Amino acid sequence: MSAETPLLSFSAADVGYGSVRILAEVDLAVSPGEVVGLIGPNGAGKSTLLRAVTGDSDLLSGGLALGGHQIASLSARDRARVVAVVPQTVSAAFSFPGAEFVAMARHPHLPRFASLGEADVAAVERAMELTDTTHLAQRAVDELSGGDLQRLAFAQALAAEPQLLLLDEPTSHLDLNHRLQVLDLTRDLADSGLAVLAVFHDLDMAARYSDRIAVVAGGRVAPAAPPADVITAETLHRVFSVRAVVGVEPVTGAVSVTPVMREGARATARPGRVLVIGGAGSAAPLMRRLVREGWEVTAGALNAGDADATLATALGIEFAEIPPFAPMDAEAAIKVATLAEAADAIVVSQVPFGHGNVDNLLVAVRAGKPVVLVGPIEGRDFAGGAAASYWVEALTGGAVAVANVDETVAALAAAVLVGDADAGGQPE
Amino acid sequence: MDLGRNTRAVPALIALAVALVVTVIAAIALGAVRVPAAEVVAAIGRGLTGQAGGMADTLIVGIRLPRVLLAALVGAALAVAGCIFQALFRNPLADPYILGVSSGAGLGAVLALTATATVTGVRFGAVPAAAFVGALLTLMLVVRLASLRGRLDTVSLLLAGVAVSYTLAALTSFVQVFAREQMATLVFWMMGGLGAASWPYIAVVGPMTAVGGVAAIAMGRELNLMLLGDERAGQLGLDVERFKRVSLLVASLLTAAAVAVAGLIGFVGLMVPHMVRLVVGPDHRVLVPASMLGGAIMLVVSDLIARTILAPVEIPVGIVTAIAGGPFFVWLLVRGERR
Repeated sequence: MSAETPLLSFSAADVGYGSVRILAEVDLAVSPGEVVGLIGPNGAGKSTLLRAVTGDSDLLSGGLALGGHQIASLSARDRARVVAVVPQTVSAAFSFPGAEFVAMARHPHLPRFASLGEADVAAVERAMELTDTTHLAQRAVDELSGGDLQRLAFAQALAAEPQLLLLDEPTSHLDLNHRLQVLDLTRDLADSGLAVLAVFHDLDMAARYSDRIAVVAGGRVAPAAPPADVITAETLHRVFSVRAVVGVEPVTGAVSVTPVMREGARATARPGRVLVIGGAGSAAPLMRRLVREGWEVTAGALNAGDADATLATALGIEFAEIPPFAPMDAEAAIKVATLAEAADAIVVSQVPFGHGNVDNLLVAVRAGKPVVLVGPIEGRDFAGGAAASYWVEALTGGAVAVANVDETVAALAAAVLVGDADAGGQPE
Repeated sequence: MDLGRNTRAVPALIALAVALVVTVIAAIALGAVRVPAAEVVAAIGRGLTGQAGGMADTLIVGIRLPRVLLAALVGAALAVAGCIFQALFRNPLADPYILGVSSGAGLGAVLALTATATVTGVRFGAVPAAAFVGALLTLMLVVRLASLRGRLDTVSLLLAGVAVSYTLAALTSFVQVFAREQMATLVFWMMGGLGAASWPYIAVVGPMTAVGGVAAIAMGRELNLMLLGDERAGQLGLDVERFKRVSLLVASLLTAAAVAVAGLIGFVGLMVPHMVRLVVGPDHRVLVPASMLGGAIMLVVSDLIARTILAPVEIPVGIVTAIAGGPFFVWLLVRGERR
C-alpha cells in the first residue's frame, strides 16, 4: 500500500443511472501502487462503481476525483490518457488484426491526422509482449476465442499506458494459467506504480492479489481493508448468504475461502434440535446433512482447529470449544450438559474416544435423551475401557445403534416423533 | 509488427483510382454516338485549356463529361454516407436509403423544387439546402423512434427507417399531385436519374461531396472506435455523443448532395462499403477513401448501363442500382442469418 495521495477518490458519492441510485455515499480511494478489490453479490453495483469513472454510469451527487480533477471536468480524451478499462465482455464484430485492435487504445494520445509514431508502436508492442499476445498480432479479432480476446482487451488497456487500471472481472473467460498470468501481471504493474481498481468474483483471487478489499452490498461500499480483515466467515454469511470456511491457503499464504452451504439450501421445516458428539471430522457429513434438512444442530466439546470445529463455526453451530489438543475441562462438560438438556435427541458419531473427550460420551449417555450411536465402539476406545462401558450403558438404556448417516437421520426422526407423541399425551 | 500499414491498402487504393479513370473515359466514349478513347482525352484537354469547339467537343465536354462526373460524385457521396451509417450503427444493413434519410432529403428537395419552380437561379442553392434539412430531420426522427424501446438495435432501426420512409414517400407524392405541371419532371427525378446533369449541378454537389468526403476520411480512426461499441469507444477516449452528432451531420450532408441533384438512388451506400470491406478490411482510414472511389465507379457504370441498355430510351439510374441491389440486400440478410 502506498502513502501517496490517491489517484482516484470517491467522496460521499452517490452513483447510479439517470435518477436511479445504485450506491450511496461511497468513500473509496485508490493510490498509485495498490490494488483495491471490489467484492459483493451479483447486481450489488460493483460494475456500476467502476463505470462511474469512465462516465458510463452517473455520479448523482458527491465527489469523484481523478488525479485531483473532478471527473466531470475532464474530456473523454484527457480521461482516457489516465484511465484504462478491461471490460467484462469484449465484442469484436469486425475483423481487425490483433495489433490494430490493440493500437486503437493510442487514440487519446494521437492528434487528428497523425498516424502511429515510434512511441505508439513501442507501447503497443510492449503491451502485447507483457500479455503474451504478440502471436495474435495478425489474427483477425472476430475469429479469436473468448479468452484470447479478453487478453487482447487487456493488452489494449495497457497500450494506453494508463496510471489507473479498472478491471471488471478481467479473468472471466480465462483458463487457470492465463488467469494467473493476467493477475500476476496486474500485481507486478501495481508494484511498479500503477493504481488498480478491480472487481473480483473469485474471493481467493481477490484475497491473493488485492492490497485492500471493499465489500459492495446493500447499496453501500464498506471501507476498504486488508483481505484478512474483510474476508471472514461472518462477512461471507452476511453478504453472500453462504456458510463458508475461511482459512489460510498454506502454499500462497493468502486467505482462502471454502464455501460449505448456501443459506437458501436450508430446509424450512424444523424437525427438531439435536446434539452431535463428534470430533476429528467424524461428524462433518452428518452436521452438513442435518443443517441442510433444517435440524437445529448443536455439537459437543470440540478442539479448536479440529475439522468438525471449523465446519461447526462455518455453519453457525453452537458447541463447547476447547483449546487445541487440550482435554475437556469442567466448564466444557457443563456446556455440553446444557446443550444436551436443550436437545430433543443426541447423536454420537464415529469418533475415537480418549481420556480427553470421553466425558462427551458420558454426558450424552446420562442426559436422559434419546441417543443414536453410530458404528461399533470396537477399535476406538482409547480411554481404558471407559468409552466401551458407557456405550453398553447407553444401549441398555434404549439407545439406537446405526451404521451410517442415512440410518442416523432416520433414527433421529423416529426418536423426535416419539418424543412429540409423549409430550402430546401429557396434559398441559 | 507493421502497425498502421495495411499492406493491402495502398495497392487497392491505386487500383481503384486507376479503375475510376478508365471507367470515366470509357463512360464518356460509349453512348448513342461512340467516340474513340483517345479523342475523349484530347477533347477534355481542349476543354481544360478553353479551346473546345465543334460538335464532338460539345458532346464530350458539354454533355457527357458533366454527366459522368456527376455520377462519380453522387456515387462517392452515397458510398461514404453508407460507410458512416454502417459504422455508427454497427449495422451492415444501414444505408441512407434504408434509413429513410434519402426520402427525407427527397421530400425537402421536392418542396424546394416546387416552391422555386419559376426562379431557376435560386434552385441550385435552395434544393440542396432543403434536401440537407430534410435528411437531418428524418435521421433524427428515425433514430429517436428506433430507440424508443431502449436499445438502438438493428430491427427497430430498420423498421423505423421503413416506416418513416413510406410516410415521407407518400408526402412527396402528395406534393407532386399539387404541382401538376411539374409532375413528370418530379417523378422522373424521384426515380433517380442523372439526365439533367450539367456543370452548375457539379458546382453544387462537388463542394458538398468534397467537404463531406474529407471530413469522413479525417474521422477514420473514430469510426474504427465506434465499431467497438459506444461504451468501449468512450473508454478509449472518444466523446461519443459529440462524434455521433458531427458524423451524422456529415452523412446527412453527403446524402443531401446526392439526392438534390440525382433524386433517390438506392443501394449504392449499402453495397459499395460491403464489397470494398471484403477487399481492404474494416479499417475506415482505408475503407472510407476506397469506398469513395468504389462508389464513383459503381454509379458511373450503372449510369452507363441506364443510358445505353435500351438506347435511345434512357432508364433512371436508380432502377439499375435497385435491380442489382435488391438481391444483394437479400444475400446480406441470409448471410447474416447463417452466421
